[in-house]
Amino acid sequence: MSSHRTQEVLYETEAALRLVDHGLDGLRDDTAESDAVAPLSVMSGGLSELPAILERANAQILSVLTRLRESRAAIESTALEKLASTHEKIREVSSATEDAAINIMDACDRATQMVDELDTIDATPEPDRARAGEVRSTLRDELFLMMGALQFQDITSQQLAHASAVLIEMETRLIDIAKLFDGKGDFLEQLPKPEDSAPDSKTYDPNATVRDSESRQALADEIFTSIRVSAA
Amino acid sequence: MKFLVVDDSATMRRIVVNSLQRIGFTDTVEAGDGQEALARFDASISFVITDWNMPNMSGTDFTRALRARPDGANVPVLMVTARSVKEDILTAMEAGVNNYIVKPFTPQVLKEKIDALLPAAAA
Repeated sequence: MSSHRTQEVLYETEAALRLVDHGLDGLRDDTAESDAVAPLSVMSGGLSELPAILERANAQILSVLTRLRESRAAIESTALEKLASTHEKIREVSSATEDAAINIMDACDRATQMVDELDTIDATPEPDRARAGEVRSTLRDELFLMMGALQFQDITSQQLAHASAVLIEMETRLIDIAKLFDGKGDFLEQLPKPEDSAPDSKTYDPNATVRDSESRQALADEIFTSIRVSAA
Repeated sequence: MKFLVVDDSATMRRIVVNSLQRIGFTDTVEAGDGQEALARFDASISFVITDWNMPNMSGTDFTRALRARPDGANVPVLMVTARSVKEDILTAMEAGVNNYIVKPFTPQVLKEKIDALLPAAAA
């Protein structure tokens, strides 16, 4: 169920609850007036309407219960789907961070070995300058690869921004539900609005991933090539 | 040849600038979003490398604005982004991007794409 439909169900539930509240207030006022001033004949007339009032209240309560069940189902399906996707993103962040750390540590190990080899070359009476040049070139490549591995930071920050946006959306919905059951909502009004701290949706891609970059690059190349060919 | 590198991630800007230096391009200008890039762009820039998702002005909006300027109509624009669904790639093309790199990228891919666009940059 879409978040728009969930919102609609919540509003409908709120409207139904207000109707019940209004009906029960009316019933209480009628009874209070009858107790205070009405002669017995009038009071008996009011009492004769009681079954009909209770029947209406019952129907409205049943309607509210139906709406509440629908709301619960909507919230469950939307929340579970979004939370599952968010959980997956956070797991990928953890995995990408670990992969990058391992790649950088491996490169550090290789770089250290190359520095050792350069020391060995330098320690010989007639250093092999050509070999030393090759090792230095490979060492530069390794250092460059280490820097490239840090690209994970840009992608994982986008994934975390997406996870943060989902959590803020959930928080907003929970507050909306809480307001349904607390008309005054003094406490809720004092809370900072969750959407104020939401990440700017323009700054991240919800689908950002470190996975399958080669196949995703191949798709981009294929699209650019095919459109250029058809335009030529 | 002067490159304009546009990305809101300082890490990514540094990676791209270092990659450029490694393949022989040392003259670079950096910008953190599309608005800043538009302000920094001038006739001395021969090549633009831009991210997509940025605050204030996205990479696609920046490219459209650049294409509307007489001095930016023909400059090669290479988009480097995490976005990689077909619709996004088509949108980037429609905005005026000349080629597209998916993050995370290898230095080899960056070099290939730049090499392919160099004739246009030199024109």
